[in-house]
Amino acid sequence: MSNNRVSRRQFLNYTLTGVGGFMAAGMLMPMVRFAIDPALQTKAEGNFVQTSQKIADLTEEPVKVDFTFEQVDAWYKSDVTEAAWVYKDGDTVIALSPVCKHLGCTINWAGDSAHPDQFFCACHAGRYEKNGKNVAGTPPLGPLDEYEVAEKDGYLMLGKKVANTLV
Amino acid sequence: MYFNVKDVQQFEAQKEFIDTAIVPLLSLKFDEGIKQSSSAAEYLMSLTAFIEQQFKGRLMLLPPFSYTEQTKSGLFVPLLKEELHNVGFKHVLFLTCDHSWTSLMDQIDVIWLPSIPLESMDKEVKKTVLEDQLKQVIPILSSKWTQS
Repeated sequence: MSNNRVSRRQFLNYTLTGVGGFMAAGMLMPMVRFAIDPALQTKAEGNFVQTSQKIADLTEEPVKVDFTFEQVDAWYKSDVTEAAWVYKDGDTVIALSPVCKHLGCTINWAGDSAHPDQFFCACHAGRYEKNGKNVAGTPPLGPLDEYEVAEKDGYLMLGKKVANTLV
Repeated sequence: MYFNVKDVQQFEAQKEFIDTAIVPLLSLKFDEGIKQSSSAAEYLMSLTAFIEQQFKGRLMLLPPFSYTEQTKSGLFVPLLKEELHNVGFKHVLFLTCDHSWTSLMDQIDVIWLPSIPLESMDKEVKKTVLEDQLKQVIPILSSKWTQS
C-alpha cells in the first residue's frame, strides 16, 4: 500500500471521467465511422466477369459467350446469365451486347439467311453490321453496345457495358 | 415485355411493334400430384421467361392464369383471347403443360409442351434444355408473324 491514498473525491472523479470517456467514445466512434465511411469503401476492381472463352480460340467469326454474375435486387440475390457476341478484329477482341437497341430483343449473328454477315433481330427484322452499326432502314436507331474486355490467364473477361466505340 | 409498370409504359408508347401476347396456363394440384404440379409450374415459368428474353420487343408475357381441377371450368380461355384481340394483340398464344387444353385447338392457339423436371439439373444443362425447347416454339412464332 502506498502512502498517498486515493480520497473518496478523487476516486469518484477518476471513475466518472473513465466511464464518461467510454460513453463519449461509444457515441463518437460510430459518428466518425459514418463520416469517413465513403472513403473506406473498397471499389470492386472494374467489375470484370470471368468467362470460359479462351482468347486464343477466338476468330473473326462472332461467337456467343455466356457469362454469369450475381445480381442483388434489394434482398433478392439471383444469378444472371448474359451473353456477348465476341470476335477478333486483327488482334483486338471485340465483345458486343446481344440486346437489340430497338426494343430489347436478343439478336443473333447470321440469323437471317439473306444477310449471313450481319447481326439479325428476329422480332422486327432489325439488322446490324459486324461492328454493331445499325443498318439504315431497319427499326434499330443506334449501334449495339459494347463490353469492356480484358484478359486473364488466356481467358476472356468482360466488364461494363459501354456505348459502341467502333462506329 | 413483362406485365410490369416499366414495360407497360414502353408498350403503350410502341404499341404497333408489340402485337403478340403470351399467356401461360398453369394447372395447380395440391393432392398427391403437388410435386409434379410444382415442377411443371417451374418449367413453364422458366420457359416463358426465356421466350420473353429472346423476343422482348415483339411480345408481352402475361402473368400465368392458374387454376385447379375445380376452378378450371371458370376460366373462359376463348373469351380471354377475344379480349386480348380487341385491345390490339394480333396474336395470342397460350402456353401450357396441361394436355387438356389441346381440345380447344380449333378456337385458340395453344402450344402444349410436356413438362421437363428442371429441378434436378444443374445450370448448364438447364440452359441447354430451355434452348432446345425454345427452338420448338420459334417456328410457331415466326409462322404466326409471317402470316400477318
